[in-house]
Amino acid sequence: MDLPADTPCALVILPHALREKVDNRASVRVCGQNVREIIAALEHDYPGLGFNLCYETGELRQYVNIFVDRENTRYLQGLDTPVRDGATIHILQSVAGG
Amino acid sequence: MSETTNFTPGTVLVLVGTKRGLFLLSSRDRKRWEVNATELPGRRTYYATLDQRSGHRMFAADNGDFFGTFLRYSDDFGQTWHDPEQGIQFSEESGQKLENIWVIEPGRANEPGTLYAGIDPANLWVSTDNGVHWSLNESLANHQTRDRWNPGAGGLCLHTIVVDPSNSQRMWVGISAVGCMRTDDGGQNWVFLNKNVRASFQPDIYPEFGQCLHRMIQHPTQPDVLYQQNHCGIYKSVNAGDDWIDIQHNLPSEFGFPIALDPHNPDTVFVIVENDARNNVSEQFNVYRTKNGGEQWEALSEGLPAGQGVRLGVLRHGMCSDTLDPCGIYVGTNTGQVFASADRGDSWHIIADFLPSVYSVKAVVIE
Repeated sequence: MDLPADTPCALVILPHALREKVDNRASVRVCGQNVREIIAALEHDYPGLGFNLCYETGELRQYVNIFVDRENTRYLQGLDTPVRDGATIHILQSVAGG
Repeated sequence: MSETTNFTPGTVLVLVGTKRGLFLLSSRDRKRWEVNATELPGRRTYYATLDQRSGHRMFAADNGDFFGTFLRYSDDFGQTWHDPEQGIQFSEESGQKLENIWVIEPGRANEPGTLYAGIDPANLWVSTDNGVHWSLNESLANHQTRDRWNPGAGGLCLHTIVVDPSNSQRMWVGISAVGCMRTDDGGQNWVFLNKNVRASFQPDIYPEFGQCLHRMIQHPTQPDVLYQQNHCGIYKSVNAGDDWIDIQHNLPSEFGFPIALDPHNPDTVFVIVENDARNNVSEQFNVYRTKNGGEQWEALSEGLPAGQGVRLGVLRHGMCSDTLDPCGIYVGTNTGQVFASADRGDSWHIIADFLPSVYSVKAVVIE
């Protein structure tokens, strides 16, 4: 994936359910200006992973939450939330149950 | 499950899709059953089947709670699963989102490699290479009436696929709450077939479409004979669905989900009907059987539970028959039991308990 040299890179921490898709690692490093580009980078490096996170329409799945530096992007700019170089991104599933 | 991964020919295998995983019940004599879990732990498995036309490829509808819905297949009876190279996934431009996969059916015997899958939102997907690549039936996807299709309580789901073994161009699908549709040209055009089927929840109770078909099956030797369990009755067609005959007769309720038949005595049909609370109608949990194509129904209760605390529900894929003679009947409940009869329903035994809520049962005899 060709990106400008100054594209910020982030550490993405994945939930257990998705680690099989990234060679059973807990985290991976990818680059992108915002969350949308981070997801695109994940899809590029690990084909199919993007569909785990987003619907076909490109929207984030209902019960998937993405936190950039501990802030839930649903309450920021969603997939357009910018990513700083060195950011930590958590991908988490919603709490289910009581 | 290591010693059971190679089931010997003649073994009856019941694939049990549940709210939390896919289980396999196996028996050589239909008396002693072994229960094994597959490697789909925790997955909402609406349906699973075993295609034996070229090997033993198992397919499962893995409807995830969080990270998406996937059709998966296994060549080792569920110990390892594979994703298709091109799975069931809409294009971004379509604006559609895959919600759940409801059914996966092998095609005709003379078209090995062809499979069909029905999903929510109501669409038909087709594979011609043993499930490795899937493509959308565009004609149904772009049906001129689609904007007037409405979901049932389970979603706008295509849950039933009936392939005509005698006509390579003909098949039927069942959609909730749209009704029965048929193609006579290999999927290029689809017509509604809901004549005489009630939609009592609508102002016009006999609309062209909008019926809530729950499950549909085909007579094994007379392809034009179909049966359906509907939200509003039980029906039979003798003309490939062109019109339907109400065969509820003495059944105590018009509402139920599953329907099955005896492949060796195809006028013998089994249904389960429920009350408004979606449980057994009386304190006795019954399966109902007709031996004359729906003229008269009898309640089957020997070995089935009864009492004030018995409140069982059975979903649309929760009953099936096997191909042995006398045929076996299998019923999976929303409280995690599987009941089986090895004598066409005369008597019943519980063959699995404490499973998660059962969504589907599918019996196959290993070849």
